[in-house]
This record gives sequence, structure tokens and C-alpha cells, in this order.
Amino acid sequence: MGMRPVPVPDETSGPFWNAAAAHVLSLARCARCGQFSHPPDTVCPHCGSTDPCFDFAPVDGSGEIRSWTVVRQSFLPGFDVPFVLVDVELSAQRDLRLVGRLLDGPDAALSVGAPVRLAFEDIASDVAVPAFELAERRRPGPGPTPRPGTRPGAAS
Amino acid sequence: MTGRMDASNRVAIVGYGQSQLVRHAEVPLGTMTVETARRAIDDAGLKVTDVDGFVTASLFPTAGAHTAEDGVSLVSANWLAKALAVNPRYAAGFQGYGQLPGAVSLAVNAVASGAANYVLMHRALHNPRGSYHSNPMREARGSQQWTVPQGFFGPLAMIALAYNEYVQQYGASREAMAAVVAEARKNGARIPWSYWSANPLSRDQYLDAPMIDDPICRLDCDIPVDGVAAFVFTSAERARDLPRRPVYVAGYATGAPVRHRLPLHWPLDDIMEIGTETARRLWERSGVGPEEVDLPQVYDGFSPFVYFWMEALGLCGLGEAHERARDGGIDSDVKGAMPVLSGGGALGNGRMHGVPQMLECYLQLAGRAGARQRANASIGIACHSSPHFGGAVTYSAEQF
Repeated sequence: MGMRPVPVPDETSGPFWNAAAAHVLSLARCARCGQFSHPPDTVCPHCGSTDPCFDFAPVDGSGEIRSWTVVRQSFLPGFDVPFVLVDVELSAQRDLRLVGRLLDGPDAALSVGAPVRLAFEDIASDVAVPAFELAERRRPGPGPTPRPGTRPGAAS
Repeated sequence: MTGRMDASNRVAIVGYGQSQLVRHAEVPLGTMTVETARRAIDDAGLKVTDVDGFVTASLFPTAGAHTAEDGVSLVSANWLAKALAVNPRYAAGFQGYGQLPGAVSLAVNAVASGAANYVLMHRALHNPRGSYHSNPMREARGSQQWTVPQGFFGPLAMIALAYNEYVQQYGASREAMAAVVAEARKNGARIPWSYWSANPLSRDQYLDAPMIDDPICRLDCDIPVDGVAAFVFTSAERARDLPRRPVYVAGYATGAPVRHRLPLHWPLDDIMEIGTETARRLWERSGVGPEEVDLPQVYDGFSPFVYFWMEALGLCGLGEAHERARDGGIDSDVKGAMPVLSGGGALGNGRMHGVPQMLECYLQLAGRAGARQRANASIGIACHSSPHFGGAVTYSAEQF
């Protein structure tokens, strides 16, 4: 396999990729309303500020699976197939979503609501990409896990 | 603004042209477009010099490393007007998803406002040589840096995540989707210009197809083609002097997601919440409800959109569309079933976006569907794209 495409950091994403290289998930947070948005945009999607002065704050990256797919044909270079992509709702903030690879392999038993924790893949020198691994399901908890509420203070 | 559109039933389609749908045309897309446009104008009983408005949506929807060139891989309204040697009073292009309803809205607005008297709307789609979506990129820049490094790329993963949410939530089976795709191909096989003409697909053939992005297999995707369709719009008053029976635009609606997402991240909640609002607007602007529609044509560029549209439009309850499909409830040959793919859709014709849905509405409501003509078709809906990003148009055989 050849190299996977590497991200090219720009003025909006530099802190995200610098943190990722150190295996830290650091997301853009609006200085006006304190809400995370991913990816950062010119206008804060939460409070509408056109001057969100995003700072980047670490989040622990745990969350739960909302959906997944097993990719069996890659349209990009450098990916061995099959692999699993998961759509994860991060526990750091309600409806804060990240789509990444699940490193447990294509045969892992998955379900909506299954807990995941953050992992990183080192794909080049000083370049790491956020990914996920299955985490132990917390007990007790009959029925589906309740959706996490907005917890801006959850950043560690 | 609420309530029925001022332009409701005041603008009509009065003629059409449709090219053969082929994998790779022997002539450039621009050539096919000029020929199809001339046929549409002639079909409407008009001369090229009568046409004073040109509209389209010219998106070239590939994730691959293909060049977008006007007249070759896409055709803009201005390119077509110039090629026909017309200096139009009005020319415009719709940007974004929902290209068909978007372009129809430009045509309707141009006629209703008096910006143009006869508007040609076309849609030209190109199938590039080589893999449609493959991209050899080594670096991911701009918005792609947030998804490409993870291997999240292209529309198949996009629809697979949304469809898997549906499968997990409602227990939809592959057998149900086999019924959807077989229905589209059955109807497409009856259409002379379809890529799949005389080539239906059995449910077993569907079930044997390998997965690409679980639960999406190759047969859940429409096949890329070179193809062009064109329609002529004018006012209801002018339509009376033209040879073809007019089909009126009762209303249109488009949606736009409000939530901030990663590129190509289309969670099912977004699709259904915004899609339901798209449908509500459609009924309000058109002055009809789902119970009055006898020719609903849902979009099916990826097969799960059939379920999403049926449910967003209220043709069945939330989570019920897969059961309807499985149990024969969308079989266009069964009386009382919902003929949601009677025109073959994109799965049964080829990747023409919402053209097959629009053309089926036009042909049936104008009484021009030939051997496929349905009795009593009166109100049609033509959908395109996802309910939350795209839109729909209501067509009527009569003014009301």
C-alpha cells in the first residue's frame, strides 16, 4: 500500500493537527459561547458570532457509536480494505460528531450506542489521525444509554 | 411567507427532449445538449429564437480527480445559449444539491415574473472515463482535511452511514431493498432511452451483489451515464397556443440543513427532520397534500433515499417504508400500490439525477407515456437528492 493522504494544516486547523500529532484531540471552541464546533467555520454555528475567536481545547474523545459502515472498496490511496468507519457522538457535547476509523477490525460486533474511546493512527512523521476503539460498556444500564447533555466543562 | 405560491399552476411544461442514456457518448456532452435542446424546443412547437430564458444546474457530481469543463463534462445555461446562438433575456444556474427542483424553481420564477417568456431548462450529466469517484490525492486540504485522512470519502460512505442508521433503527432487510431496486429496474427496462432498457434485475441478482460500504452494495447506486434532458416552460396563457397539453407546476420546495456537520456527514436525524419540513413546505406551496398525489416519484440515486422520501413526504409512517416495499406496496403494476418508481428512477435509467422523476411526471400527466400510460394520473411529485438537501416539485395535469 502507498501512503494515506496526509492533512495539510491551515490557519483554521493548525492547532487541531498539532495536538493530534501528540495524540490529543483538541477541538475548536467559540470564545463567545463556549460551544465546540467541528470543523471550525467562519461563523459559530451555535451563537452565530462572526468573530468566534476559536480557541482549541482538549476533549477526552470518548463517545458512542451512532452508525457505522464497513468500507470494502477505498476510493483513496493507502487504505487496506476492509475497514470500519464509525459515526461517533462525543460525550464532550451533545451532537458533537466525529467520523473516524474503528481500529477493532471489520469483524467487531457493533451496535448503536456502543461506547468508544479515542485512539490515534500515526500515518507519517509528526502526523497522527484521530480514530476510535471499542470501550467497555458501563454498567448498570438496562436499555439504551441516555444521550449525553451539553457539558462544556467536560474537557479535561 | 406562508401559504400557496403565487405562481402555483401559472407556469407549465410544454415540451421536452431526452437523449439516449449511454455509458460513454461518442460526442461531447455539449453536442448532446444542443441536439436535445433543439428537440425539446421543436417538441414544444417553438423556434430556437422564441426561447429567451435558459436555466440549469450544472454540477458535475464526482468525488474523483476529474476536470470540470463547460461544454465537455458539464453544460452551463450560458454555454447552451451561446451554442444555440441566442442572446437570452434571462440565464441562470442553480448552485447546490437538489439540482432538478432548484433549476425548475429558476424556470418557474423567470416565467412568473416576466423575466422570460419561454425558458429552456436542461440537465446534462457526464460519465468520465476511469473510476467515477477514485481520487489519487496525497494531501487533504481545506474541508477535506477533516474527513479524508480517516478514509471517510465520497458519497457511498455518506449514504452507508445514514442507511445503516435506518437498518439498525427499523430492522430493514436486504430483501426489502431488493424489492426496491428490482422495481426500479423493472420499470426502467420498459423505457426505450434508459441505459437499462430491456434489462430488468431480479431480486436474487440484487441479493448476490457484493457490498461496497455495508449495507450499500453496487446495485444500490445508479450507474453513471452520459445523458441530457431538456424541458420548455412557459406561462399557462401562452401554453394554450402551443400544440402539447401543458403540465402545470403547482409548487416546489427545497431544503437546506441547518446543523453544522463534517463534509458528507448526513445523519438520519438531519435527513428526516429537515426533510419533513421540506415536505411540509411543498404541500403548503402546492395547495395539495400527500393523499391527493397519485404519481409520487421519489428520488433513488442511492436506493435508501426511496425510504427517506416516502417517509418524509408522509406517504407512509416513519420507519414503515421498508415494509411497504417488501410487501409489494410500491409495485407500479399493482392496483392500490404506490407507484413511487414507475418512471424507473435513477436506478432504472442511469445517473440523471431527478430527471427520470420529472420526466415521468411530465409524460404521465401530459398523456404522453405511450404503452406505459397510467390511467387517471393527475398530481405528480418529482423528488431529487436527499430530503434534507434536495427538494421536490408538484406537477398537475389541470389548473386548480
